[in-house]
Amino acid sequence: MRIARRFVTWWEAITRREQLNSEIEDELTFHIEEYAKDLMRSGVSQDEAQRRARVELGGIAAQKENCRAAWGTRIWDELHADIRYGLRMLAKNPGFTAIAIGSLALGIGANTTIFTITKQVLLDKLDVHKPDDLRLFGWTGGENRVPIRIWGHWSETTHTCTSFSYPVYQQLRRQNSVFEDVFAFKEIREITVAVDNKPEPVTAELVSGNYYSTLGVNTVLGRAIQNSDDGAPGSGAVAVISDGFWSRHFERAPDVIGKTIQVNLTPVTVIGVNPRGFTGASSVQTSPDIFLPFSMEPIVAPNGTKSLLTNPDEWWVLVMGRIKPGVSNESARAAMDLLLTNAVRATMTVAESQSVPRFAMQDGSRGEDLHGEQFGKPIYVLVTLAGVVLLLACANLANLLLARASQRQRELSVRLALGATRGRIMRQMLIESLLLSSAAGIAGLLLGYCGRNAIPHLTASSWETAMIHVRFDWKIYGFTVAVSLLTGLLFGFMPAWQAMHTQASRGLKENAHSVMQGGSNFSGRLLVALQIALSMLLLVGAGLFIRTLTNLSKNHLGFRPDNLVLFEIQAPNTRYPAPKDLVLYRQIEQRLASTPGITSVTLSKNPLIAGNVSNDDFVPDGLPPKPNDKAYVDDNVVGQDFFATMGIPILAGRGFDNTDTETSRLVAVVNRQLAKEYFPNISPIGRTFLSRQERIEIIGISGDTRYADLRDDAPATFYTLYRQQPKGEPSMTFEISSNIKSFVLVPVLRDAVASVDKDLPLLNIRTQNAQIRDRTRQERIFASLTSGFGLLALILACIGIYGIMAYSVARRTNEIGIRMALGAPVGRVLRMILGEAWWLAFLGVTAGLTAALAMGHLIASMLYGLKPYDPSTLVIAALLLIFIAVVASWVPARRAACIDPMQALRHE
Amino acid sequence: MAPKQSDLFQGTLDLMVLKAVSLGPLHGYGVLLRIQQISGSRLEIQQGSLYPALYRLGHEGWITSEWGQSENNRKAKYYRLTAAGRRRLHAETEKWNRMADAIGAILRATPEEI
Repeated sequence: MRIARRFVTWWEAITRREQLNSEIEDELTFHIEEYAKDLMRSGVSQDEAQRRARVELGGIAAQKENCRAAWGTRIWDELHADIRYGLRMLAKNPGFTAIAIGSLALGIGANTTIFTITKQVLLDKLDVHKPDDLRLFGWTGGENRVPIRIWGHWSETTHTCTSFSYPVYQQLRRQNSVFEDVFAFKEIREITVAVDNKPEPVTAELVSGNYYSTLGVNTVLGRAIQNSDDGAPGSGAVAVISDGFWSRHFERAPDVIGKTIQVNLTPVTVIGVNPRGFTGASSVQTSPDIFLPFSMEPIVAPNGTKSLLTNPDEWWVLVMGRIKPGVSNESARAAMDLLLTNAVRATMTVAESQSVPRFAMQDGSRGEDLHGEQFGKPIYVLVTLAGVVLLLACANLANLLLARASQRQRELSVRLALGATRGRIMRQMLIESLLLSSAAGIAGLLLGYCGRNAIPHLTASSWETAMIHVRFDWKIYGFTVAVSLLTGLLFGFMPAWQAMHTQASRGLKENAHSVMQGGSNFSGRLLVALQIALSMLLLVGAGLFIRTLTNLSKNHLGFRPDNLVLFEIQAPNTRYPAPKDLVLYRQIEQRLASTPGITSVTLSKNPLIAGNVSNDDFVPDGLPPKPNDKAYVDDNVVGQDFFATMGIPILAGRGFDNTDTETSRLVAVVNRQLAKEYFPNISPIGRTFLSRQERIEIIGISGDTRYADLRDDAPATFYTLYRQQPKGEPSMTFEISSNIKSFVLVPVLRDAVASVDKDLPLLNIRTQNAQIRDRTRQERIFASLTSGFGLLALILACIGIYGIMAYSVARRTNEIGIRMALGAPVGRVLRMILGEAWWLAFLGVTAGLTAALAMGHLIASMLYGLKPYDPSTLVIAALLLIFIAVVASWVPARRAACIDPMQALRHE
Repeated sequence: MAPKQSDLFQGTLDLMVLKAVSLGPLHGYGVLLRIQQISGSRLEIQQGSLYPALYRLGHEGWITSEWGQSENNRKAKYYRLTAAGRRRLHAETEKWNRMADAIGAILRATPEEI
């Protein structure tokens, strides 16, 4: 009650300042008049009475202030005055203010942008009920574990797999006692969905019947998938669609419920729409387009004749549980380990010598979190670099403020002499810093907002419709506010501290008359050295990443990537069961080859430089067996004209031709690397080898090409013909060589494929060069960001060095005048000033070099073709900075050298 | 000579103002007159500290004010005690009396009593 009352009066005093003042004035005037009247009644003259009444009450202005202060407004009033004064001081120096706000805004903007990426990739949690209670199941297994075929992610860092077979999942769920419930899901990419007969590739998530209820997610429209939907394999033709899919295909129409869409040519009824923020259980960045019950697996993810739902050998399902309150992770893991052992032994045959996988459990609040694992390190590097940029901007500003504070010594001394407390002076200086940093924070937030989509997505290819939307929420605003305040305090503290220790008497007496200023600006020099060191760090980073990128693009690919357009075709299992899919590919190949404008056509199981490889066993006949790790080599299934279309030379023997058909003997082409590794002194041509229980004859040797990645040298590879794969191929990538511009070519390709089957969409259409660029996406982002940071660092270092040298020369005018009057030549003065700059640069570069070497270790794995202590990068960065330092101090040095001794001595 | 206000304990002015307005609504000058009148001019209030005290008491919620007409038809601001102010006055009076008793007892003490 009293607090509320106090607030009301305080609020009134602040918001209705003028009215309150006039009320107090009225009241006091009334008092004076009444008192004067009483005095006159006792015989005092009118003038005297008025005078005495006024004197006894005290000054009206002082009374007003005291009355307002009684309402608790003193701090507010002082703050108000400080802010107004600060704004006036900043407005008086527009150049300084612009540089300060501009450089800080760039620093804060860079950090805001990087933070939005960090938040998205590393911090955001699934938009479900209590995500922290979720645990993602996994397992680890040694060398001699029971053989398991994995369709999913195997972490090389933790040696953990998160995929389970469906029968094992079912048993874990039935017998579990430590989780409230256990559910399963699996994201399946690139299935074909047709809405109104327009086919398009979409991502689906297969979910168990208890998925929605355990996650605690409700649909915004219709109903969620329930246990009753997830029945016998092939049943349950229902789908819940994502908010994005609803927008794109149904314009958010509420009558979508009950509509039928074609999933891999099977009609499925839409029963619900997910809430906007829900992204499924796999990732927090993007949502699959449609959610289907696991019972739809035979339609969505067909796998030969045996359904994956009953197959105990194929491990592919992701499993999560919601842990019961009070159950510790360790006891849950122990309980589940026992269940897993039982489930594996119940569903698979485990030999004497084989071990059973051990249960492992990880945090499920971010889903499967592949991006977190993949991009964690690059993002930490980016965060560090952005932090260095901000630190640099802070050092720069602290430096400028220090120089300015020295100019303001006189003003501060006067204020001190007039009775200002030291706390008030310090507060004044800090408020000016905070004003600067707040303005920069607002500008930085705008920059970050604009930059959030300017930076290419770390996690998505350019031809994928980027459905990752950066959510600009309160966390980002909070981050920017915190960073702004922190920087304000950081760069404002030193000048404020210095101002607080101003001596009133000294400041008034001293008019820069002291001749020698030795060591008086120590902190300023230290800051400049720090700036140079930080710039060195950023420049070295930029150099290393740029050289990595050039090294990668200079790499010899082994094939000709120009004028090639790529796209994928998936043969829906329902219409094209193997080997009919091969017939389909052959038809498309022939149709495209006869299309005018197309030079040549081929297809391959794995496109080149796309991160995909397949490998198979390779046992040459008539040679001693290789050790175990040599028994497998990379392979690719290709079309007849693969080598010609891709520009890969045939070095010996022959490539595939018309005589190699479905019925002829099986043939293969090996690359030079394979020939070198397996047939060191003999010709492989005409020899046979065993792979996938088939005997294949080698007919030729091709040139080496890089396969999955630009970073890896060409692996030993053999190529087989797609027409000779009796088990079929679920999808193939077509490579089209043509001189026609791709935007003209693509409709032609679509028409050609549609004339074979109008329901087949062309997936992931891109050029081979775009595909290669995509593999260096992370490198390009790093190269461009670090060069941007490096440039910014150079500019800031320039400003800093120029500022400190100009200030130093101005303060030493007297001293330089005396030196010159005593006969110091111009060159000597010039050398003195430049020498100082040189020393600062040398100090900073040395410190920066040490830091850069330490940083090098952290980013070594991100580099290619050079060592983290790459000498040329280090030398160039060091020379550049020393050069910049000398150039930036040239103007002040010239000014010093041109000082007229007479004027300098009279100076002030 | 009348004791000056500065000779009094801190908080005494607040107590006197509360007491004065508890007897009926008063404007600022009226408070001054009332205190002088009750004390028989034995106490002289520093006029300069009266108004800050009034605003302070208002800030605490013990008195409220509103504009009204003075005896000679001038606009004047009148202060009155609130319920919280009445409780405060009561508590402060108790405190004052206890203290006055205690100090009185000390000052009345004679050598024989010890």
